Amino acid sequence: MQSTLIKPALATYTALFLLFLYAPFVVLAILSFQTGPEGGPQFPIIEWSTYWYRHLLGLVPPSRIAPLPIDESLLRSLGLAFMTMVVSTVLGVASAQAFRTRFAGSGIVFYLIVLGMMVPGVLVGLGMSLVANALGIDRHWWSTAFVLHVVYTFPFAFLVMLAIFNRFDESVEEASWSLGVPPGRTFRKVTFPLIFPGVLSAMLFAFTLSYDEFSRTLFASGRDLTLPLAIYGTFSVEIHPNVFAFGVLTTLFSFALLAVYAALMTLSIRRAKRVALQEEAA
Amino acid sequence: MATILKLDNVSKLYGSLRALDGVTLSLPDNAYISLLGPSGSGKTTLLRVIAGFERQDGGGVLLAGESLDGVPAHRRNIGFVFQNFALFPHLSVARNISFGLENSEGTARPSAGVIAAKVRDIVALTGLGGLEERGVAQISGGQRQRVALARTLVTEPGLVLLDEPLGALDANLRTRMRDELRAIRERLGVTFLHVTGSETEALAMGDSLIVLDRGRIGQIDAPDTVYNRPASPAVARFLNCYNLFEGSLGEGAFVGPAGRFALDAAAAASKGGGPAYAVRHDRIEVRPPAAPAGADEVRIEGAFVASEYTGATQLSFFRLDDGRLVEVEAHLSHRSPAAYGADERYGLVWKRRDALVYA
Amino acid sequence: MTMTALSDGLAEARIEQPKPQRTTLWLVLPGVLWMTLFLVLPMLMMVYVSFWTQTTFAITPVLTTKSWVNFFSSDTYLTALWTTIRIWLTVLAATLLVGYPTALFVGLFVRNKTLQTVLLVLCVIPFWTSFLIRVLAWRPMLGKEGAINLVLQGLHLTSAPIEALLFSELSVVIGMTQIYCVFMVGPIAFMLGRIDPNVLEAARDLGAGFGRIFRTIILPLSMPGVVVGAIFVSVMVLGEFATSAALSGRKVNLLGNIIVTQVGSLKWAFAAVVGVVLTVIMGVVVAALLRVVDLRKEL
Repeated sequence: MQSTLIKPALATYTALFLLFLYAPFVVLAILSFQTGPEGGPQFPIIEWSTYWYRHLLGLVPPSRIAPLPIDESLLRSLGLAFMTMVVSTVLGVASAQAFRTRFAGSGIVFYLIVLGMMVPGVLVGLGMSLVANALGIDRHWWSTAFVLHVVYTFPFAFLVMLAIFNRFDESVEEASWSLGVPPGRTFRKVTFPLIFPGVLSAMLFAFTLSYDEFSRTLFASGRDLTLPLAIYGTFSVEIHPNVFAFGVLTTLFSFALLAVYAALMTLSIRRAKRVALQEEAA
Repeated sequence: MATILKLDNVSKLYGSLRALDGVTLSLPDNAYISLLGPSGSGKTTLLRVIAGFERQDGGGVLLAGESLDGVPAHRRNIGFVFQNFALFPHLSVARNISFGLENSEGTARPSAGVIAAKVRDIVALTGLGGLEERGVAQISGGQRQRVALARTLVTEPGLVLLDEPLGALDANLRTRMRDELRAIRERLGVTFLHVTGSETEALAMGDSLIVLDRGRIGQIDAPDTVYNRPASPAVARFLNCYNLFEGSLGEGAFVGPAGRFALDAAAAASKGGGPAYAVRHDRIEVRPPAAPAGADEVRIEGAFVASEYTGATQLSFFRLDDGRLVEVEAHLSHRSPAAYGADERYGLVWKRRDALVYA
Repeated sequence: MTMTALSDGLAEARIEQPKPQRTTLWLVLPGVLWMTLFLVLPMLMMVYVSFWTQTTFAITPVLTTKSWVNFFSSDTYLTALWTTIRIWLTVLAATLLVGYPTALFVGLFVRNKTLQTVLLVLCVIPFWTSFLIRVLAWRPMLGKEGAINLVLQGLHLTSAPIEALLFSELSVVIGMTQIYCVFMVGPIAFMLGRIDPNVLEAARDLGAGFGRIFRTIILPLSMPGVVVGAIFVSVMVLGEFATSAALSGRKVNLLGNIIVTQVGSLKWAFAAVVGVVLTVIMGVVVAALLRVVDLRKEL
């Protein structure tokens, strides 16, 4: 039958598809090892070198190519991502907790929250700077840009927590109340530990989305650049392999973050399994 | 006997459905009470209202004379044992048990030494010694049941509600846990309100038995009274040991599709909820078709369908001429199992005074 | 009716606590306030400001439709509008064409759950790189001395480098397709994964060829996935400006780019007009897509 041919054909196609997804990045990684400062962002590789990495870290003598302004913008981006992560996770957990009971207007509230991830950054960014203008307040990464980052990441945290609460067995909370433990303490001692893996995922979402966010930041952050804005700045001028080297480094950073998340997840799962091992040994 | 819990005309609505319809009862202190009801009778709703997980739409709940109106679940001093146990999966057995003491509201919290001593006592009482450091996923179903009980009892509640606590256990364990539950309760002297859908469990466990019927109290009595004299046809039906006949009450007899049953003067129409006529499975005797009935007996005929041998008893089914089934239970301590011929007709005979008649 | 009323009632009652309304209110209020102040208000402000009067360096709150007239009578703006719609449709079609076969393979032909997860994770990994870096990565790919031209010449498929690859509408479409196609693959693969293999088996036993099975079973059942994917891709592409800024060499101006430029030169009222136009297009597109398939019924 035909389908005996279709499967390998589709498998080959999928392989090509993955190549399409990854090829640009592989090329970028290769070119980041171009020699400098005279080597450009194209083939052939004149000589393999780590010049652009050292250039990025300010370890090479000054040349006509200005270093990327990464040190301060990196700190800003991390700070912004951290603030965003904390606030949107708190908002996400609280809202999802509220959605466990049905309340009047819950449908509208749901769409209001989800709208935050759907509306493009250009539009909210523009709207926010118009509001800031009208009110005569300055735009900063830690004020106007920060609130927009939360508008963007809070819906993700909310949806993650909603999914977690959907599978949550509420009788453990009732059991805790019936033991004389007040609701607030029950939340801290029972509910929170049980939803913690979900909270971690929500935090991861919020942090990485904010760390990479630039369209909202572009409009709403004022003079001080965040990391994505520093990269965006290179779009209009001639690019050099230092941007590629930087791309490799941020990707490694993202993977490190993912590894930390995976480690924390494994840890929280293992805590439950540890007792099982003890029992088997006994 | 002092009253620990009083319900006064409690009702609860879900939309237009009356889950509880004017429930009034009082529970004596230091007793084991069974609450029997088929699924949908509102028994879990009743427990959840008493525990404070849900609020009644009308009526009042009083614990030891104090109204519980507006008192949140954690201030009611009422323990709750869940059917699925609802143990805290992230805590060890010992921490599950000490949880209530360690996290109770401010001033009530005992010192660490006191907590440790109480946990030790309850662990010994419930037979959980040696399992303290295990996770709750690593113990058996019966042990989980004990942890759920120990966790509740250690907080010394004024009343313990058990929502089908044996439902998640296998049959063997269920029988053993019944005895243990009774023994533990007697040691502590606290009232247990045990909800179950199983009539044998309800009859076996309770000092007294409450039957709930579509959101209303069907009967409150000692188990043997409920068993021997169910207050209504509905209660008789839940007990699952009565043959019920419909019909109407005539002069000195109950007349229905199954025949005309002459009435004993004493048994006649003492209770309401009918008209119905009930005969317990084990009050019926099977006789050869030719054998006549005595003067104080009622006799009908039916064709044998099948029988079920359970060891101590033999349950036989006969089909009457109008198509309905009659069950006959024979206790095998008095006789050996009878062999009936399939589709053969037999006489089914009982004493007039054994029948219950509902007007 | 009574059954649903009952189960609804039970679901509600399970989590009821004394004074549930007040707790719920306090839990949901901060989020609602945040979204109202920082999302709804800015969007309304945008609509409002689009009717303000624009002077060279400032805007004044004197209501006028001048900016709107300006927008619809300017070739630059109308061209940008047309370019945006053209690129959106092209990218939408391209992501669907490129993504569907992969989704078909992952969702329907790979029945091993582990392999399925691995393939989906492989699709998601690129998202762990900065969006801007992923856009920039196409420059060394598509350039005159870029990887693609080198490979093509190396294989003697072309004698001279193709210059049209970079800094053209084509490069923008290629870049966007690569960046957004995963949003198409995911939902479609999810829907295809829910098809019962027995249904396909039964169709095959009845003698239906793959083409027929695809048309009558697979395609209709995957439609909700296509719609969800299309909504994702549409919303993102319509709000784009970075890809065209990086890959078109300023030749392709989308409405997003216009907004950025106008804001850069303090033409707030014009920017607001473009923003409102973009919002309207997006609303129409999403509403239209939701009419194609009733998501609530399908999911």
